[in-house]
Amino acid sequence: MPSRGEPGSEHEPLFREFEHTGDIGIELEAPDRNELFRRAAIAIAALLVERSGVAAAEEREVAVKAASDEDMMHDLLEDLLALFLVDGFIWSDASAQARDDGSLRVTLRGERFDPERHEFRGEIKAVTYHQLSVRQSAEGWKARVILDV
Amino acid sequence: MELIKLSDHLWEIPRQGAMLVPGRVYASARMIEELRDDPALTQVANVACLPGIVGYSLAMPDIHWGYGFPIGGVAAVDAEEGVISPGGVGYDINCGVRLARTNLQFAEVEQKIPRLIDTLFARIPAGVGSEGAIPGLGEQELRKVVTEGAQWALRNGYATQRDLEHTEEGGRLAGADPNRISDRAYKRGSRQIGTLGSGNHFLELSRVDQIYDRRLADALGLDIGLVTILIHSGSRGLGHQTCDDYLKLVESAMARYEIRLPDRQLAAAPILSPEGQAYLGAMAAAANFAWCNRQVMMHLAERAFLEALSVSPRDLGFALVYDVCHNIAKFEEHVVDGRKRRVCVHRKGATRAFGPGHPALPEALRPHGQPVLIPGDMGRYSFVLVGLETAMRETFGSSCHGAGRVMSRSKAKSEARGRDLYAELKSMGVTVRAHTRSGVAEEMPSAYKDVAEVVQVMEAAGVTRCVARLKPFAVIKG
Repeated sequence: MPSRGEPGSEHEPLFREFEHTGDIGIELEAPDRNELFRRAAIAIAALLVERSGVAAAEEREVAVKAASDEDMMHDLLEDLLALFLVDGFIWSDASAQARDDGSLRVTLRGERFDPERHEFRGEIKAVTYHQLSVRQSAEGWKARVILDV
Repeated sequence: MELIKLSDHLWEIPRQGAMLVPGRVYASARMIEELRDDPALTQVANVACLPGIVGYSLAMPDIHWGYGFPIGGVAAVDAEEGVISPGGVGYDINCGVRLARTNLQFAEVEQKIPRLIDTLFARIPAGVGSEGAIPGLGEQELRKVVTEGAQWALRNGYATQRDLEHTEEGGRLAGADPNRISDRAYKRGSRQIGTLGSGNHFLELSRVDQIYDRRLADALGLDIGLVTILIHSGSRGLGHQTCDDYLKLVESAMARYEIRLPDRQLAAAPILSPEGQAYLGAMAAAANFAWCNRQVMMHLAERAFLEALSVSPRDLGFALVYDVCHNIAKFEEHVVDGRKRRVCVHRKGATRAFGPGHPALPEALRPHGQPVLIPGDMGRYSFVLVGLETAMRETFGSSCHGAGRVMSRSKAKSEARGRDLYAELKSMGVTVRAHTRSGVAEEMPSAYKDVAEVVQVMEAAGVTRCVARLKPFAVIKG
């Protein structure tokens, strides 16, 4: 099962890809909920563009509000996908702040996507609800997301 | 999963639990053994729970695990009592395939393949981060595209009247409502007319290497050695966003209509409800975008041929054989339990395959049945079939759509590590260009089933007949 790591943290992969016949499934683990959403935000960018070449030159914010953690994960990743596809912004780092009222604010650090400098890794059509899960366990938080490519 | 063998190529999942109709799976004995514990069969049973479903929840032999619906699934629901499910169409609304033929023999282009494929690669972008294939369109113009479909391409010099006649629905699905497409979907589609996309989308140059039915091949303009071009693409970001927008809307409405289904991704609303009607208007709009997209790509491909080969349009003889969609829901008339009924046929990874004489077919093709285009993997072959009368009786006029994957994308990438797939494909006689590094690895030939086995099942079942086989010699991956 391939995994992608945080730079400088080889023992703690950012996310793992799991087998799904036609598409990309990712598994995320984090010690807390904010970190889980932060990792998800970085993961989708890393799947779109080779992350090592992306400079953290400017900040963008994305805010979502949802009735469940699954919906929040779905809506966040959809908004981030649109940020890349519509606004051409790509990021290499992020921070996330979830609130009790069901809102989540994510700050992204990145730059404008430049096909001359950045390596595009492949299109993501959509973030699916298929087997989507966000769960808290004794060890921390886990999420599974399948992306339609 | 309990399966009852009905014949060597047809299996039934008996009605149980909340299923309203039985499931039926077209597969060989070997395929069914591989499928027996596959979640795709559970999805066939789940689809059988859709309110208003009639006949059977069907699966074609290229079935694999999808979202809600299996890929390779066909479900017809009553046009008034039934539901429409965005998941039963899929994210890539009107993903489809078109085939064009030329007058050129493979021997005439063999020495010029690198120049030809490079010109095509430059003319037809993948569509992310690249300049569009044609100047970007504002929302006002895109509203015309989604209303008119391939007719927009005709008005703007990217199509001929004959092209439209050889496109399913004439390249324009009725009922499109541009007001049902979201701002975000318009923005995602604004620079994507004439672009290929990535994933399993491709442009393939092939030569006809087998003719199975001479009369039908003549009718479609296909002969041994002729160079053809196959394009697989869909509604791009506009369609993907539309599916996502309406999954949300439809799911939120389900409780109101007391619809309970075993899978969230199967979300459905009554066809006659405001939500159902809104989705149908948006789906038709996205389908029209896809037809326009494939038409413009084909036009750009013709220009690339003329430029790279320095031939006249007359000598090139570029002509559309047919264009099919394989992710769609359409209102059609079918005989169910001995009675003609208007139904909405969801085809998710399945191709319409109307038999000879069907009034929906263009006059030139009507006596022969509808061409059905079945791409295989990029190393082996693709097939041209036609629909038969049995399709009208057994499958709501539907057949398979492709090879179906046997290997996940991550497994394929891992298998490809350390290998030079470009060289391997070259040794198979296939020149490859790819817009992304991982595209070739994820789509390597061994990641797919042998498409010949898939089309043989449909032929044995009498649903479609093989007309010709196409052997790829150059491929562009998104």
